[in-house]
Amino acid sequence: MTDYGLFLFAMGLLALGFRRPFVWVLAYCYVDILAPQQISWHLLAQLPLSLIVFVAAFGGWLAFDAKRDSRFTYRQALLCVLLVYCGCTTLTADFPAEALTKWAWVWKALVFAIFLPLTLRTRLRIEAVVLVMVLSAGAIIISAGIKTALGGGGYGYLALLVDSNTGLYEGSTLAMAAIAIIPMTFWLARHGTIFPRHWTVTLFALALTFACLLIPVGTEARTGLICIGVLAVLALRTARRRFLYMSLMAIGAFAAVPFLPQSYTSRLSTIENHQADESASTRLAVWAWTWEYAKDHPMGGGFEAYRSNKVRYQKKTTTEVSDDDTEIVSSYVVDAGRAYHSAYFEMLGEQGYPGLALWLWLQLAGLWQMERIRWKWKKRTGPDEQWQAPLANALQLAQVVYLVGAAFIGVAYQPFILMLIGLQCGLWSYLKRIDAQRIDGAARRIGGVRALSATSAPVPAPAPEAIGA
Amino acid sequence: MIDLFALALTHGLLALAALRLVMRADLDRDPGESEEAPPRRGMRPPGD
Repeated sequence: MTDYGLFLFAMGLLALGFRRPFVWVLAYCYVDILAPQQISWHLLAQLPLSLIVFVAAFGGWLAFDAKRDSRFTYRQALLCVLLVYCGCTTLTADFPAEALTKWAWVWKALVFAIFLPLTLRTRLRIEAVVLVMVLSAGAIIISAGIKTALGGGGYGYLALLVDSNTGLYEGSTLAMAAIAIIPMTFWLARHGTIFPRHWTVTLFALALTFACLLIPVGTEARTGLICIGVLAVLALRTARRRFLYMSLMAIGAFAAVPFLPQSYTSRLSTIENHQADESASTRLAVWAWTWEYAKDHPMGGGFEAYRSNKVRYQKKTTTEVSDDDTEIVSSYVVDAGRAYHSAYFEMLGEQGYPGLALWLWLQLAGLWQMERIRWKWKKRTGPDEQWQAPLANALQLAQVVYLVGAAFIGVAYQPFILMLIGLQCGLWSYLKRIDAQRIDGAARRIGGVRALSATSAPVPAPAPEAIGA
Repeated sequence: MIDLFALALTHGLLALAALRLVMRADLDRDPGESEEAPPRRGMRPPGD
């Protein structure tokens, strides 16, 4: 039944694309995030669905969509340079075969992030992409959230829709993405027009947020908890009743602790005592190795370069001998081919200093652009000028959550986040265009008024702020 | 069962959203925007 349902849905989306080709772009977002062909075991599994929607999205835009409002922003140019650079390092990679496997999905994610902003010509299209991102990720999150609430969580045990450990189906990545979509969900509930403001929409947004908050518990991903903390602090910036917000957060946090499973609280305690935790100690050792590796390979070792690492680290285990005595045993562990466990070190090891610099530039420019939009639009009072600053804020918060989570997970080329970057580029370029058109329109109106006043009765000149408003 | 519920709920909403989108004219053109390309900044409008 699931199989037929997913098949019919996918075919329905493709059919709607013939009426409005932009639906194919949304279909690509949906397929890329949820991977329905992996959930299905019969009908969709036999179709090259990813390829079909990729071709349909590009072909539809090329053949049918208007191009006059499409702009190429400098962050898209940065993505292009990063794409070419990654291609070059793949050709000279330490592990050519493994590098090619990663390149096979990285280039697609980068190309789509470059392409997406070209299609985001209207406000509704921007909103539609946000909605599809939230609902597609929501499918994984709602299922995982309910399972967690019913006690089915545990590190490596939480059964997601697909048992594959790729994309959003990897526990820590899902925890990070779940927290990142919270601000986007609230923006949709407040400013959405596809599903306009209504108590059912608010209820859904609240329930989805609750499910999102349960993901770090269900997957026992410590990264997710750090992401929640960061988001909670950053949300203070725009909260209207800060004291009430802080009080509710504190009460919520204290009330949640007794309900957390013991395995989760004991895993969280290793954040402070990282020497007793093998996963955290490995990370520190791999990061030190990558730092040294980059000195010898400043241009990067290509995808999967971590495979050559061999790390040795100290591990301390504490055992209780009696009621009063504890014994601390120190031992050395040798490990090989450990993954980076950090997007920053992933970029440094695989793409060297230039790749890391490009990636950081791309990320920091996004934060800056969203801040610019926020400042520029938040003081405007027009009825159609209220959604821009909150959306920029939501996309900025999502990116900050990602950048914090990325310090502990190797998600430098996460397609979901690259889609978010594409969305930021689209919003930036769209607002810049409509602002320029408004200024042009105001200037033309003033020109018309002046021309009229020269031929007829004197008309008072409009206020100069009308042009710059 | 839980998976089925999550998939049915989100796909139902996605399908409804897609149907609403294809019926809205502002998907391809913002309200108030003309079909003709607006003149680029610094260019004189025709007839000047």
